[in-house]
Amino acid sequence: MTQERFISEVRQQQEPLRRFLLALCAGDGALADDIAQDALVRAYVASGSFLGLSKFSTWLFRIAYNCYIDHCRKARPEKAPVEEARNLPGGDSSDKSFRYQQLYLALDRLPEKEKAAIALFYFEDRSIKEISSILDMPQGTVKYQLSMGRQHLKQYIQL
Amino acid sequence: MSSIEDFLRENKPQVKEDPTFILEAQRRMVQVEGIKAEVDRQRSRGRVALIIALCGGLAIGVFATAITFLYPIDAQSSAEGLLRAVRLFLQDYRQYLPMPVALLAITLAVVLFKRPARI
Repeated sequence: MTQERFISEVRQQQEPLRRFLLALCAGDGALADDIAQDALVRAYVASGSFLGLSKFSTWLFRIAYNCYIDHCRKARPEKAPVEEARNLPGGDSSDKSFRYQQLYLALDRLPEKEKAAIALFYFEDRSIKEISSILDMPQGTVKYQLSMGRQHLKQYIQL
Repeated sequence: MSSIEDFLRENKPQVKEDPTFILEAQRRMVQVEGIKAEVDRQRSRGRVALIIALCGGLAIGVFATAITFLYPIDAQSSAEGLLRAVRLFLQDYRQYLPMPVALLAITLAVVLFKRPARI
């Protein structure tokens, strides 16, 4: 894959990728973008091994998820719960800001796999099969993670 | 349960517009290309050095074998002759022996304690 083609593919996937990582990082936009950049470098280095057996976006999201997991492993000792929601959409009503705050706080409390499954299914509209491929787990496990994630979010978010 | 699903679908995280994101990605890719080129250069240099060493070794081996076959020598007598020559040399010049030893020690000390150059 040439650099130009890679860039054009990334240009298309940039927003979904950053949104996925933003959800995983519970609203920390700077951290999400850092991980996204690392993921892009990793993907670019490995682009020669991309055989096109899956969609480019599935492959890229998988690399991004692995980067996020690596970051979590490194940062675990310092990890503190999110005290305030970050990256709230500017110029929105306080009601909407409050909902985002609730969402990010709730996402931050979820286990990584549940959070990733929820983000991919609800925010990126990915199918169970794609999520299974991105998170490298059987489809049944994805459904279980989604179900558990929903249950947990129901407890954390006051509707 | 549907209410939480609706909540999630209605409140997708919103990514802030960042025109520098792709530029930064491109900058990093250029750096990766630079590293790749340097690694390739080092690899090709290593390959050339290996081929030269192999050819050199082969040539020396062929030359040594040819010499051995063309000019056969009596190994025992020549070894005794060499030992005798060394013994005579040591007897004649033993007062100068500490000098090369000291030189060697100083050279080793300079080489081992030399700071690596900052790159």
